[in-house]
Amino acid sequence: MMDVGRHPNIELYTYSEVTHVEGKAGDFRVTVRRHPRYVDEDLCTGCGQCSDACPIVVPNEFDAGLGARRAIYSPFSQAVPNTFVIDRESCLNDDFLVCENCRKACERDAINYDVAPQDVTISVGSLIVATGIDVFDPYTMKTYGYSVSQNILTGLEFERMLNASGPTQGHVLRPTDRRVPKKIAFVQCVGVRGENDCQYCSLFCCMNSVKDALLAKDHAPEIEEITIFYSDIRAFGKGYESFYNRTKERDYIKYFKGKPSKIVEDPASHDLTIYVEDTLTGKPMEVVSDMVILASAGLPSSDTLKLADVLGIELGQDGFFKTEKENAQLLRSTKEGIFLCGCASGPEDIPDSVAQGSGAAAGAEKYVADFRLPETEEEITPIDVGGPPRIGVFLCHCGINIAGVLDIETMEEYVRSLPNVVHVQNDLFLCSDGSQKLLQEMIKEHRLNRVVSAACTPRTHEPIFQETCARIGLNPYLFEMVNVRDQCSWVHSQEPLLATQRAMDQIRMAVARAQWLEPLEQKEISVEGSVLVIGGGPAGIQSALDLDAQGFPVTLVEKEKELGGRLRFLDRLLPENVPAVDLLQRKLAQLKASGVRVFTETEIKEVGGFVGNFEVSTTKETLKVGSIILASGSDVYDPKDEYDYEKYSNVLTNMDLEGIFAQTDGGEALINGTKPKRVAFIQCVGSRNEDNPHCSRICCPTTVKQALRFREQGTDVAVFYRDMRTVGHGAEEQYRAARGVGVVFIRYPDDQKPVVTKSGKGLRIQAFGTMLNDTVNMEVDAVILAAGMVPKEPDTNTFKEMLKVPRSPDGFMMERHPKLGPVETTTDGIFLAGCVQSPKSAAESMAQASAAAGKAASLVCRERIKLDPTICRVNEALCRGCRTCVSICDFHAPELVETSPGIFVARINEALCKGCGTCAAWCPTEAIAAQHFTDQQIEAMLETMLEEGL
Amino acid sequence: MTEKKTTAKKKTAKKTEKQKFVPKIVAFACNWCSYAGADNAGVNRIQYSPHFRVIRTMCSGRVKPAFVLKAFEMGADGVLVSGCHFGDCHYIFGNYRAVELFEKTKKLVHLLGLEDERLRLEWVSAAEGIRWAELINEFVDQITRLGPSPLSENGKKS
Ligand SMILES: Cc1cc2nc3c(=O)[nH]c(=O)nc-3n(C[C@H](O)[C@H](O)[C@H](O)COP(=O)(O)OP(=O)(O)OC[C@H]3O[C@@H](n4cnc5c(N)ncnc54)[C@H](O)[C@@H]3O)c2cc1C
Ligand code: SF4
Ligand code: SF4
Ligand code: FES
Repeated sequence: MMDVGRHPNIELYTYSEVTHVEGKAGDFRVTVRRHPRYVDEDLCTGCGQCSDACPIVVPNEFDAGLGARRAIYSPFSQAVPNTFVIDRESCLNDDFLVCENCRKACERDAINYDVAPQDVTISVGSLIVATGIDVFDPYTMKTYGYSVSQNILTGLEFERMLNASGPTQGHVLRPTDRRVPKKIAFVQCVGVRGENDCQYCSLFCCMNSVKDALLAKDHAPEIEEITIFYSDIRAFGKGYESFYNRTKERDYIKYFKGKPSKIVEDPASHDLTIYVEDTLTGKPMEVVSDMVILASAGLPSSDTLKLADVLGIELGQDGFFKTEKENAQLLRSTKEGIFLCGCASGPEDIPDSVAQGSGAAAGAEKYVADFRLPETEEEITPIDVGGPPRIGVFLCHCGINIAGVLDIETMEEYVRSLPNVVHVQNDLFLCSDGSQKLLQEMIKEHRLNRVVSAACTPRTHEPIFQETCARIGLNPYLFEMVNVRDQCSWVHSQEPLLATQRAMDQIRMAVARAQWLEPLEQKEISVEGSVLVIGGGPAGIQSALDLDAQGFPVTLVEKEKELGGRLRFLDRLLPENVPAVDLLQRKLAQLKASGVRVFTETEIKEVGGFVGNFEVSTTKETLKVGSIILASGSDVYDPKDEYDYEKYSNVLTNMDLEGIFAQTDGGEALINGTKPKRVAFIQCVGSRNEDNPHCSRICCPTTVKQALRFREQGTDVAVFYRDMRTVGHGAEEQYRAARGVGVVFIRYPDDQKPVVTKSGKGLRIQAFGTMLNDTVNMEVDAVILAAGMVPKEPDTNTFKEMLKVPRSPDGFMMERHPKLGPVETTTDGIFLAGCVQSPKSAAESMAQASAAAGKAASLVCRERIKLDPTICRVNEALCRGCRTCVSICDFHAPELVETSPGIFVARINEALCKGCGTCAAWCPTEAIAAQHFTDQQIEAMLETMLEEGL
Repeated sequence: MTEKKTTAKKKTAKKTEKQKFVPKIVAFACNWCSYAGADNAGVNRIQYSPHFRVIRTMCSGRVKPAFVLKAFEMGADGVLVSGCHFGDCHYIFGNYRAVELFEKTKKLVHLLGLEDERLRLEWVSAAEGIRWAELINEFVDQITRLGPSPLSENGKKS
């Protein structure tokens, strides 16, 4: 959020609404209504004195009503911008009453009650809709008693309760008696998947409850039992299944398959009785719990209808924005130039939402490529910083935020006495424009070559001060900041003397460090403007097309003879039943019309270089590219002798079946020459077991799709499953449709696989049906194994070595961060797209591919990139070539080079080093300097702290 | 005087003596999580003990044994190293490295003849202001109870 708030090319309109849109892709005019905050954004420092003065207390929406706020407030503690806002509905100040407490309390005169809403019109090339979801409000659901009992919370309310900065400071408390509950129950699928509910699956609630169950116990070890009532636990995403498995090992967590019919509160004890059918015995059961959490589903956000109208885009049957389904494009709305991401088009989890955000941005780029902002830079003559340190220290009052607690006068006097300090000054608001100018004047006047400020946190304000220094030519790395607000006056306000003492100590430490600060230069490296995409499946093709549309030279390398990857072997794609070949043909036609260079039957031999400058040798030619997208896909699990797959020709995999369906040309599917009367599917073959603990995500939707296809030709279908994980747009609806047309779903226990034996010409399948509490014997003509996805070998391993990208525990390629960097890798400039990262559908693969394209584009669109100089550097004279740093660094930045025959020293590649300083901590000869955090700098702080004592 | 009373009296005497002792504690906080968590405590105005001083590093992996040893040799009574939770480190594995290094540090500190309790490695996320405050309070208490480090001026005197 902070990055967005600070980005020079992002204009943020908060508290605003889009009211009108006209024009077309490339040239939209958008009217934005800015609701008044009554607080001036430029003046407000977010100190909160106004809030303290406000007499009104109302429930806080952010804490889901569990906490309280004032009428003038900041929505939550990390809000961007951190400007306060007045809620005029609850504010006293209207025509009749005059309160004005907040206006009087604000030292910066930022409050003005007479502001009207303002309409602004902006011209844009493209629009991205990221309006997310609302959460289903169970208030109207009589059966679950949410409106009656305070001890029933929604999942969101419980999340706030678990949050350390939430209404209960992270303590799990039962609302009626504020005691730690002994028993908690989670009820899944609230508002969806029932007869009268929305038909889709809300997707994220399962993992949310699984996670919260674990967290609740961490926060309150007194909790004895947590029961989760579920329909299917949909732990489908990367790493989810192993997380789920870990919770199953905890004896206090119980999973109970069944959806409660009602929940009733005992008026005296406020305990809750949950009525549910025991799926094992079929008998009604009652479970008593202290607290119930309803996993409320996501709904289209409340303004969806209105916004669809304003934007002129269509909605799907589920009420979410409709995507361009015929081309399996999750990110495109029904109107050109308007993109969708995250939950706007249906519930998504965070990793997919984040990836889709980047993907939508990549799509939008096409329409704004002409507006790309040049990076401007003015020439500034640097100040000579040689000679002994001349330190200037600037103390900020931050209104009364700092000065109200700390004794600034004493501090100023004290700081004057510190070595090398030649100037000390205090200021009411150091970050204000005027004060920053004054700071520059003082640098000149006193010939300062080090600047220390004691103010708020460097995490938000260091860049501002550094820029102020840099603007007049003082190297920004000669600036040092002490946090005397967030980590001093605000947290020790009851003890002003001790707080002042702490502030003085920390300033003394900063001054000591400042003596050792060194000017650092940002190195620039040039960037090749082209991209290599490895793998020509749907993901690779999509990445290449997106980059081409934005005008970047792209090379697509495919090792097979033909492009298309798995799409070549698939029949119809769910959920829209678009024939895979049609989609592929359209994609290939686009590719042909584009400027993408395609090499088929080509393999990568070697990859050298680093971000912006990769050198890749292939079996065809050697390429120089700025970025690489890896889209080499995955393999389908080979069952070998599992279920006698290799022995019997009527035991098939889902992939074999796709081939059969694809050949029929719309006619009937035959297995061994005859139309099967009855078939059985077995789910989770090669997934969710010891060898492959992950869920393959696509096999459940695929089975449902194939079952429906069988029903069309009159074949009876039974599906043996563990959990039906029909995730992805439209999949849950298809699951419901399959049940509607008579597909039988039989749940088998996790630890008891079905048994398939030969029986005459056909097969017999035997399994224990947990819902029937009985063994099922069934004669079928064919058995279809829902084989999962596994990493492609040896390719995945080859690429791991070549690209220096680690693999996740599940064997797929590892992303930089599941939520913050879902398509990035630990190696700058290398991105992931499609199933190489984790199993997913073709549509999901292509959405992620767009994200990877967007990331690559934002890198190669620049001619040069600046490298952060706060990285590590080797003093070659001290290095004895022990390789410690080489093996410790996960970014592969250090490398041994032979400087003279037989003499090896380490060198750290500036483009690869991230500056964590880990190698500097490990180097046995102290040959590595972590620049800006050097040993001397840190030791100087320690020395001065401990010499003078507290 | 009964025996019970004498011990009680001794205890209070000891207590007042110890109350005078103000520990010197160094807290290394990684920039991305722990330092941010400490800021979060501020934003939420959570009050906690001022008896420690912070040194910001980019990652917990940067804190080498020599820093900790130096701190103790110069008379620190306690040292806290704080980073991101596993999986959250800005540098992916920095905190795993910190754990490995910490094991070495612990051994060295042990060799100095110091109690293990004087050194701690903890994880605090950017949202865990409360946790940061509680951690500092707890650690300050723990060190106060332990009394001055035998290597410190205070410790040598007593
Ligand atoms: C049985 C089954 C049914 C499915 N049904 C559906 C469905 O109905 N709907 C749906 O949306 N999705 C479905 N999927 C999923 C879909 O197939 C994948 O999501 C999609 O193909 C992934 O695309 P990709 O580009 O990541 O990988 P792939 O399609 O696997 O393509 C990877 C490409 O990279 C190439 N490559 C690999 N290694 C190298 C190398 N070393 N050098 C160069 N090139 C290399 C490969 O040859 C291949 O062309 C199904 C999957 C299976 C197994
Ligand atoms: S069949 Fe596939 S998608 Fe369904 S639960 Fe098993 S592994 Fe997951
Ligand atoms: S750890 Fe130090 S001595 Fe060893 S190779 Fe790296 S820089 Fe050289
Ligand atoms: S960045 Fe916090 S531990 Fe590495």
